[in-house]
Amino acid sequence: MTELNQIDLRTLVTGNKRAWDSFVTAAAPLINAVVRRTLASYRLSEEDVMDAAQDVFVRLCANDYRLLKTYDPARAGLSTWLAVVARSAAVDHARRRRQATTPLDDVPEASLGVEDRHVEKLKIPQGLLTDRQMLVLKCLYDEEKDVSEVAQLLKIDAQTVRSTHHKALLRLRSHFQEEPQ
Amino acid sequence: MSTERPTQSDRELWRSLATDRVAPGSMSGPVSDLDFAAWLEGRLSETEAARIEAAVAADPEMRRAALELSEVLGMPLPAAPARLQVRAEALVGFEVEARAKRAGLFDWLLASDRRFVLPRVATLTAAVVIAISGFMLGGGLGESMAKERYASASQTSDTANELTEFLSSDGL
Repeated sequence: MTELNQIDLRTLVTGNKRAWDSFVTAAAPLINAVVRRTLASYRLSEEDVMDAAQDVFVRLCANDYRLLKTYDPARAGLSTWLAVVARSAAVDHARRRRQATTPLDDVPEASLGVEDRHVEKLKIPQGLLTDRQMLVLKCLYDEEKDVSEVAQLLKIDAQTVRSTHHKALLRLRSHFQEEPQ
Repeated sequence: MSTERPTQSDRELWRSLATDRVAPGSMSGPVSDLDFAAWLEGRLSETEAARIEAAVAADPEMRRAALELSEVLGMPLPAAPARLQVRAEALVGFEVEARAKRAGLFDWLLASDRRFVLPRVATLTAAVVIAISGFMLGGGLGESMAKERYASASQTSDTANELTEFLSSDGL
């Protein structure tokens, strides 16, 4: 079986049928997995998963392979870029389906409304935490991921995530102890 | 795999803080698919990575995308359904079909092999020259129009003469 990194992109974007078929064989498992993972939370049918995956391939070859021609191997690996493109297409597909099929009355009120909890929250001053510290805290608390998942995302080891988390909390604690309110 | 999670007091502190919500991309400009992919692979410089991390920290949708993609890219992939592959392959036709669509003169000149462009141009030029010479030898448009005009003029004068003769015979 052809691997994605063996695909000759120059031949592919000329419209060569064999190159396209090899590309489809190599890319289908990844696109299928990304689309399934993305649509899992939308609870769509198997037919929708197939259609969303087909949308990804349509995007790639539409307008004389315009999207594929924007890919630059010097910037990122083909599989990672394809995964990003596939997720974005799947989200668009799910949003279109939801708009087309869900009457407003069927949407639970909780998901429509603005949160009505008047809890005064403390503002984190700009620059108190680094972008990475903020991202680590949001992944751990808002997304409820564990340390190893955050380490995998940021391509760092688990110990670095722990120490980033620890330093961020120290900064927060020390800032809000000095300036309560 | 470790499932280490933060302690309850850390969580309470975080909950007391307003960490939301900066509009996606408003802080650091839009993030392209290629930049996002490069960041997921850890290929960016520290400065570039900080820009993406700020955007991911600010936008919950980007954060979910990053976490999901990182998960999928790190696991073995199951085979795709055959139906998916068949449908995707059908999106691009065979070369024979593609060639059949190109039927114009310009396409014929530039078709497939560039080595034949010069003979094709020469053939086309010769055909045009022969057509023009034949037309000129035949007298061209000017002569044929002059003949036509003379024929219609003589026909009109014959009709006028006949009318004059008819009227004069009646003594008018």
